[in-house]
Amino acid sequence: MPNLPRKKVGLISCSGEELPEGTVTRRAVRKVLETLRPDDTVTLCLPLFLAGGEGERAFARYYPTIAVDGCNKRCAALATEKYSAKPAASIVVTDVAKESGCGAIGTARRLNEKGQRLAETVAEKIVEETDRLLKKKPRAAGRASGREKR
Amino acid sequence: MIDKILELAVDKFLFRFPAGLFYSDAGIWVRFEGSRARIGLSDFTQQRNGDVAFAEPKEEGTQVRLGDEVAVVETIKVNLSIPSPVGGKVVEVNNDLLPSPELVNQDPYGKGWLAVLEVEDGEAARGALKTAADYLALAKVQAEAEVRR
Amino acid sequence: MKRKISVVPCSGIGKSLGAAAREAAFILAEDLRPDKTKIVALSLLVMGDEEAKREVVDGEAIAIDGCKLECAAKGLACSGAAKVHKLAVFDVVRRHRGLKPEGVCDLNEDGLRLARATADEAAKIVDEVDAEGGHA
Repeated sequence: MPNLPRKKVGLISCSGEELPEGTVTRRAVRKVLETLRPDDTVTLCLPLFLAGGEGERAFARYYPTIAVDGCNKRCAALATEKYSAKPAASIVVTDVAKESGCGAIGTARRLNEKGQRLAETVAEKIVEETDRLLKKKPRAAGRASGREKR
Repeated sequence: MIDKILELAVDKFLFRFPAGLFYSDAGIWVRFEGSRARIGLSDFTQQRNGDVAFAEPKEEGTQVRLGDEVAVVETIKVNLSIPSPVGGKVVEVNNDLLPSPELVNQDPYGKGWLAVLEVEDGEAARGALKTAADYLALAKVQAEAEVRR
Repeated sequence: MKRKISVVPCSGIGKSLGAAAREAAFILAEDLRPDKTKIVALSLLVMGDEEAKREVVDGEAIAIDGCKLECAAKGLACSGAAKVHKLAVFDVVRRHRGLKPEGVCDLNEDGLRLARATADEAAKIVDEVDAEGGHA
């Protein structure tokens, strides 16, 4: 067992060029990483994961991960399970969109305002799961942990 | 003989430091080869600064003191002035970096070397450098600060 | 009707180069050569999605990678494409010295310039393939 650093949650999102929901996953994950939970999360790059990236695969083996997928094909969740370990949580944006009834969200290249709001909603769900996995007391998802990450 | 490799994990990043090399505080490794020293960027330095687009050591024949600029490395993120970890004369530069600067990232301790210097005072040079274990400790502090930033 | 060339960006989320690769793919497939190209998601391809595989098998493809890790090119290599043309944003950076791309979700000006330059180079590849009559 390697000498492991402080526990963090790995966020892995689909690459998502085919659907606007894929672009939502990218925005949501980056928002959590950069603003909402910069001390508690890392992103794992799915293309690198698929191509054999040892850092990404090793991290996912020892730390909890949250897979964030645009649609029910669930590339990020399935790849994580196939090459490393089953993600501790899985979020599918089309499900979240249906729940919130947000309607048309733009294109994969450019989200409209509804798409941006959906990304915020997904980011909040990621934060809830992150806090749960790290056994932290729930705080308002819109409140950052104190520092923004570059 | 295979060199022992020290490893440092910070978040998803894994940094490697061959135990047989010396390291400057600026993150430049040194392999002494008789009276000469081969230098390059440590794994931590190359990962921290990103994909190398251009790596330009000073030309052969250039005399440098300890700390003088011995190379310029331009990455996607930053332009780095590389301080020489030893005093001496540049006697060889890695011309493979011209067409393939990514070697600095892909093989920092092997094909990604920057330059070879004829060292002026080998003992003094060694004395000014860190062992792999000491450099790992420094890199750990820097990496953790970077992650927190 | 000629078969479209598949365009597969790496879309890496960790670096601005990945974001530039993604944006370059959109510029190519939506602005520059919309009748001749189609974006295929790398992750669908690697995970064996039948629809994605059908787009690529026996056809020509362009892998647009951000950096020299070449994740998209590696993914396409096992995909059954008849020919894979490789393009890395990293190499385009070397041809446009001084550009410092930043941002992942929102690229800065340099990042957008880089994406555009990459898309222009990819468009030349499309034109060459077209001239050779290379579509299946």
